[in-house]
Amino acid sequence: MRVSEPTMIGLSERSHAKLKRLKEDGHFREMADAYRFGIALALAQSVDPPEISAGTVFSVATIDPDQSLKNAIQMLMGDKLHGLPVYRMAERLADWGVQELAAQADKGDIDFVTIFDQLKAASTA
Amino acid sequence: MKLQRVTMRNFMPYKGEVRIDFPQDEFRNVMLVFGDNMRGKTSLLNALRWGFYGRALGRHSMPIPLHEMANKDAASEGDWTFEVHITFEANGHSYDLRRRAEKRAAVSTPQRPEDFVQQVYLRKDGMAVQGDLVDAEINQIAPQQVSRFFLFDGELLQEYETLLIEGSDQGRQIRDAIEQVLGVPALIQGRDELATVLRAARKTQQQDLQRVAGLETHAKRQAELTARQDVLDSDLRKLVEQVERVHGDVAVLSDEIDRSQGVLAAKAKLDGHRERQKDIEAYRDKKRMERLDLLGQSWRDVLELKVSVRRDQLERDRRRLTEEMGNQAGVKVQIRQLQDLLKTNECPTCGQAMHDDRRTAIGAQLGRLQAELEQHTDKSAALQSVSAQIEALSKIRGVNVRDQLAQANRDLQAHEIELTRIENEIARLEDEILGYDTAELARKRQLRDAKLHEEGRLQKDIADRRSELGKLRDDLALLQRTIEGLSQARSQKSTVRAAICGEMESVFSQSIERLRDRLRKTVEERATAAFREMTTQKAYRGLEINQSYGLSILDELNQKVAVRSAGAEQVVALSLIDGLNRTGRAAGPVVMDTPFGRLDLCHRDNILSYLPRVTSQFVLLVHSGEIRRDIDLSSIAPRIGAVYQIKEITPRHSVIERETL
Repeated sequence: MRVSEPTMIGLSERSHAKLKRLKEDGHFREMADAYRFGIALALAQSVDPPEISAGTVFSVATIDPDQSLKNAIQMLMGDKLHGLPVYRMAERLADWGVQELAAQADKGDIDFVTIFDQLKAASTA
Repeated sequence: MKLQRVTMRNFMPYKGEVRIDFPQDEFRNVMLVFGDNMRGKTSLLNALRWGFYGRALGRHSMPIPLHEMANKDAASEGDWTFEVHITFEANGHSYDLRRRAEKRAAVSTPQRPEDFVQQVYLRKDGMAVQGDLVDAEINQIAPQQVSRFFLFDGELLQEYETLLIEGSDQGRQIRDAIEQVLGVPALIQGRDELATVLRAARKTQQQDLQRVAGLETHAKRQAELTARQDVLDSDLRKLVEQVERVHGDVAVLSDEIDRSQGVLAAKAKLDGHRERQKDIEAYRDKKRMERLDLLGQSWRDVLELKVSVRRDQLERDRRRLTEEMGNQAGVKVQIRQLQDLLKTNECPTCGQAMHDDRRTAIGAQLGRLQAELEQHTDKSAALQSVSAQIEALSKIRGVNVRDQLAQANRDLQAHEIELTRIENEIARLEDEILGYDTAELARKRQLRDAKLHEEGRLQKDIADRRSELGKLRDDLALLQRTIEGLSQARSQKSTVRAAICGEMESVFSQSIERLRDRLRKTVEERATAAFREMTTQKAYRGLEINQSYGLSILDELNQKVAVRSAGAEQVVALSLIDGLNRTGRAAGPVVMDTPFGRLDLCHRDNILSYLPRVTSQFVLLVHSGEIRRDIDLSSIAPRIGAVYQIKEITPRHSVIERETL
């Protein structure tokens, strides 16, 4: 069965506010950068994100022009999609990732180098 | 003379009672007092000055008013009384000198010296010295005029270095100070007093001559010359007073301008820091943008960490599938070959017909292979799928953002640290120049320049008056001789008196010149001896003092040395001071405040080994930049009898503690 993919994606209202703050506080230049990072972070941590009620913020073409994210989600989470459109899963992943980034930002600065080091250590363990 | 102890109470930064014991051993006669700038080294020197002579000196040797000498902390607690107590011995007698200043009862907050009552007590061998004899007694032991040479600070050294500059104004002023020290003024005063007596004698002579027929013209001429002399003397006195006043004004203005120049320097520094702040901020903003660009791509690096694991797994799957498919193809070839053998029934190598048992074995093998082949499924679809996944995942490649981010973070942190340092410095400098007024500085500069000009003009007027007075004196002497040649005048008692006074004045005038020459020679010899001990250039023959007290170094060929280093100039100045000190009084203690500014280690060593030998006690007030106690003192270590350290409790409260090296 062919699944119909959305053309617009977003995240929950609460996370959207956090995403805006990540940009305003200078952690990311654009909200789209933080959104993509959130997806990647959730994927890298093998998160199984909960369902969300997402609004629309970005066009899919803006967030994933070469479908790298879509491919990655399919490859890494294919067994968890259960018929869910890939980009709906992307929204959930982004929502989780943005909350995680916002939580770190609330404690001070986001230490991206340490995030990389921790992810690398986890991936080689 | 030997100092035994000084005790200060509420004197300048020394709140409460602070005591220092001086070394008494003849060999271990060096005392070191360490203290950083603004801690109280010069105040300690001033305690001795004030104790002995009732005056403390600030910059440009300007007196410090009494109300500035009281410790500020103690004063804020209502205690305005301060005191210096010195015990010493000289010429076999023991002395106990106590000077004390206290606020007048009617004054609530003293704001001028008159608001204090000052008292001095001196006991000699336990007996009180009468109040009006105290100064005379002290001056016999340690003459006040010489005190600047045995209680001296680095500023005096700089002042004396200018003697090396040919024709400097400073040289002329210092000449007066030197002559004062060496006792020339006593003769000058004697000559001037005789001149007054002579003038009175001439007036009487004029009155007598007016009554003698034929001498009226001489009397009239003498009256004219004497009247002119009175006018010139009066002018000269006023001019000298005026020049002293203007000189004082120049010193005060120069001090204020110097302080303002410090502010100007701070302003220039501030501008420089602000420029640097802008540069750093621009660099920081650029780096932040670069960092944000990196973060924009960083999701690929995050993904790659996970994707690479999956990709490696897929790569392994692909290799396995490829291998399995290769094996499958091999089985198919073998089946085809066995089927051909059974069909042709002959050996492909020798062409002979196969035996039945061989055919049976081939048939069994064929059956096994066909069974194996049937178990294999078609792997090509799986291989294609795996390859497609690998292809898709290969597009997700990181750009090593982690290392670039770490580098950018380090750069940013280093610049943030520098920025913080500069911002702190900017805040400090802004505080420093707060309330600064450039117009006021310009006004003071103009005023000082005008005063300097006026001082020069007054000096010229003084020189003119002196020259005119000299000529007038010659005219009067000539007239006197003419009068004395006249028999009617010669018989007059007043003429005889005038002649005797004139002769005596002439004797004093000649004595002044002789004394000057002799003292200059003595100072030159002693300064030369000191210089030869202290200089590191052993080829130098010594020092020469010219008529205007200019100093020159003489080389081994007795030629003047034209180019001198800053260090050499300082040694010359020290030598002169030592020469003057030892010409002006008997050997005694020498206290030096911050004397080693520009001296190299060799000169410093020479001075440290020489001065303790020619003084009863050698006290050095130094900061850590001048002498490093663990390195620079090895040459005089055996001579050190006491070491003290001035410690700051608050900016208005210091203490002195005895230490060991």
